[in-house]
Amino acid sequence: MLQLLRSLSKNRRLIQDFVARDLRARYVGSSMGFFWSVLFPIINLFVYMFVFRVVLNTRWSDHQGATTVALIMLAGIVVWSAFAEAMSRTTNCLVENSNLIQKVVFPSEVLPVYIVASSLLNMLIAMPVVLAAVAYHIWIDPETDPAQLGRMLAAGDPGLRLGVTLVALPLLVILQGLFTAGLGMFFATLNLFWRDTYHLMGVATTVWMFATPIFYPAHMVEREGFGWVLDLNPMHWLIACYRAIIINNTWPDPALLARFALATVVTLVAGTTFFFRQKRRFPDLL
Amino acid sequence: MYESKASKAGNADIGGGSAIVARGLGKAYTLYDKPIQRLYDLMFPWKQRGREFWAVRDVYLDIARGATVGIIGENGAGKSSLLKVLTGITHPTVGEVHVNGRIASLLELGAGFHPEFSGRENIRLNCSILGMSDEEIQARFEDIVAFSELGDFIDRPVKTYSSGMHVRLGFSVATSVDPDILVIDEALAVGDEHFRGKCTNRLNEFQERGKTILFVSHDMGAVKSMCQHVILMHEGRVLEQGTAEQVADEYLKRAHARGNERLSAINRTVDAYPRWGSGEVRTGEVELFGANGRKTNVFDPGEPFLARVHYTVHADCFEPVFGLGLYRSDGTYINGSNHFWRQAPVKLGAVKAGETGYVEMAFESLPLLQGQYYLTAFLYDHGKPAPTPIDHREHVVTFEVLDADRMQHGILFLPTRWSVHRRGTDGTVRSFDSAE
Repeated sequence: MLQLLRSLSKNRRLIQDFVARDLRARYVGSSMGFFWSVLFPIINLFVYMFVFRVVLNTRWSDHQGATTVALIMLAGIVVWSAFAEAMSRTTNCLVENSNLIQKVVFPSEVLPVYIVASSLLNMLIAMPVVLAAVAYHIWIDPETDPAQLGRMLAAGDPGLRLGVTLVALPLLVILQGLFTAGLGMFFATLNLFWRDTYHLMGVATTVWMFATPIFYPAHMVEREGFGWVLDLNPMHWLIACYRAIIINNTWPDPALLARFALATVVTLVAGTTFFFRQKRRFPDLL
Repeated sequence: MYESKASKAGNADIGGGSAIVARGLGKAYTLYDKPIQRLYDLMFPWKQRGREFWAVRDVYLDIARGATVGIIGENGAGKSSLLKVLTGITHPTVGEVHVNGRIASLLELGAGFHPEFSGRENIRLNCSILGMSDEEIQARFEDIVAFSELGDFIDRPVKTYSSGMHVRLGFSVATSVDPDILVIDEALAVGDEHFRGKCTNRLNEFQERGKTILFVSHDMGAVKSMCQHVILMHEGRVLEQGTAEQVADEYLKRAHARGNERLSAINRTVDAYPRWGSGEVRTGEVELFGANGRKTNVFDPGEPFLARVHYTVHADCFEPVFGLGLYRSDGTYINGSNHFWRQAPVKLGAVKAGETGYVEMAFESLPLLQGQYYLTAFLYDHGKPAPTPIDHREHVVTFEVLDADRMQHGILFLPTRWSVHRRGTDGTVRSFDSAE
């Protein structure tokens, strides 16, 4: 981990260049530019809303209205997309950049780090839109249906709220970055030993996504007796923390936050240790 | 493109005046029958499943600062692997390397470029890897762009570049970053004549400024003219090192032997080429002989050359004529001749079934320059009003010319004569002649 920090401070210019280049590549060639960062999660939202709400007719919970549910889903999608994209790209980053690693003395740890940074920045571009949508439904177009308000009151649901807890958002973003980087470095290294890792990663993230309460509420899983899945899923802890802040203006559950911080430390130590242990062999493994 | 390897404290006294010191250097790669075994090795390291392959072993080098060193050897001799270890891209399995100063390397085509990045971004990328500051990059940027002569392409992704453009950009960057040691791996062969000239100039500049140059080449002429010291590699080991003359001669000797081996393999497959004719007389083996009547397929320019075509007569015929066509490997027709169309023709008249013999065509001095060539055997019936084919055989034998001196370029050695006439300010003319 110390090695990572040392390398990062030494190569920060290089990382900056890579991130800037990556963001530009994402937007320069396309006519819609930055809108894609925003549009992509919204399109995703509509697809999943259609499938889960219209076709399968699943109910989130009685006391939450359709717009609230949509915003809860959107918050989850934005966070998850950043994570999933970073995982898929970091796993293959060493193989993809073999030209740099094999022909130049290249600080290869720059690769997973810049990918994670780029995906987080991309998430931060979409985040204000989510916040704006929440704000819109709080102050400009609030819930007025008395029946719905009554149900919320009965369930003790404070409804959509935004406020001071937003200051905790950077902490979540940083933790998410470190967690993703740790996992990414681990699988990027493993991918050199076993190229199937990359293909498995595609399947694994899909399974993981559906195992995480993004399109359905956590209490449904608990009711069906699969609560233990949530107890093992750091991404659930993270997304729950995000939602507390973005949707309800409540401080994240300290227990969940602590568990996620612990998971971050574990993946980061495991990932960087594995990565830097094998780093000398990278050119030979490609 | 280039690598920095800061001279570690305490290394300077090891090297003294050395740019690179290698001691007992070896690099082994582990080869696996199945890729999954690599994962097993990682998880259960107590039992090793792969086979070791030593790409480089037992290398001891001491390259003096300011020297230009050539590394030669056949394909797979470990030249590139050695360069990778010396530049610090891969780590030696055994032994140690000490490098004093900043190394810039140009290994293979497009090495160190990100294909999606533009030329401009790649220059920045490579400069950043070396740890250069923004000001340093800015200061050199225009130089690099100008030298590469890429024009508008500098803003296009490198993946759209031709191989020549890759080399131009690579060479520009590697030499513009002011390295102490420059390592070049065969890359220059790709550029056009104009750019190669520029490169040579720049390399000469480097030499004059006392920089160390290490380069891999198959061009003995270039090696002999540029390097004081040459290292000959064979199967991962340093077979010989010493002055350019001495080592290059050893290399050529081996190249001859190897060329013969390879060419005789090629020549065993000549039946694959077209053959046609009426067949009264059939040509057999075509043998080639060099100096002192030695049977060979590899020649030096200016060496005596003799081609012997064996034949067997299967049916009576009148006035068969043997000829040979000389072609370069790309199909360029260089020369055709026979024993009939001459000032003093050899006329065979009637030949009877059962006769055998051979026909010879010779050069006292082979006028071909370096390259691969082949012969086509003609056997035509000149007893008829128009010559008709009896046995026409394309591509009967392949041979190679290896030119160590490379004093002339092209296909043919021509006896050129040069003179220079200098008119001084006082009006006197001094002439200098160089007859070949």
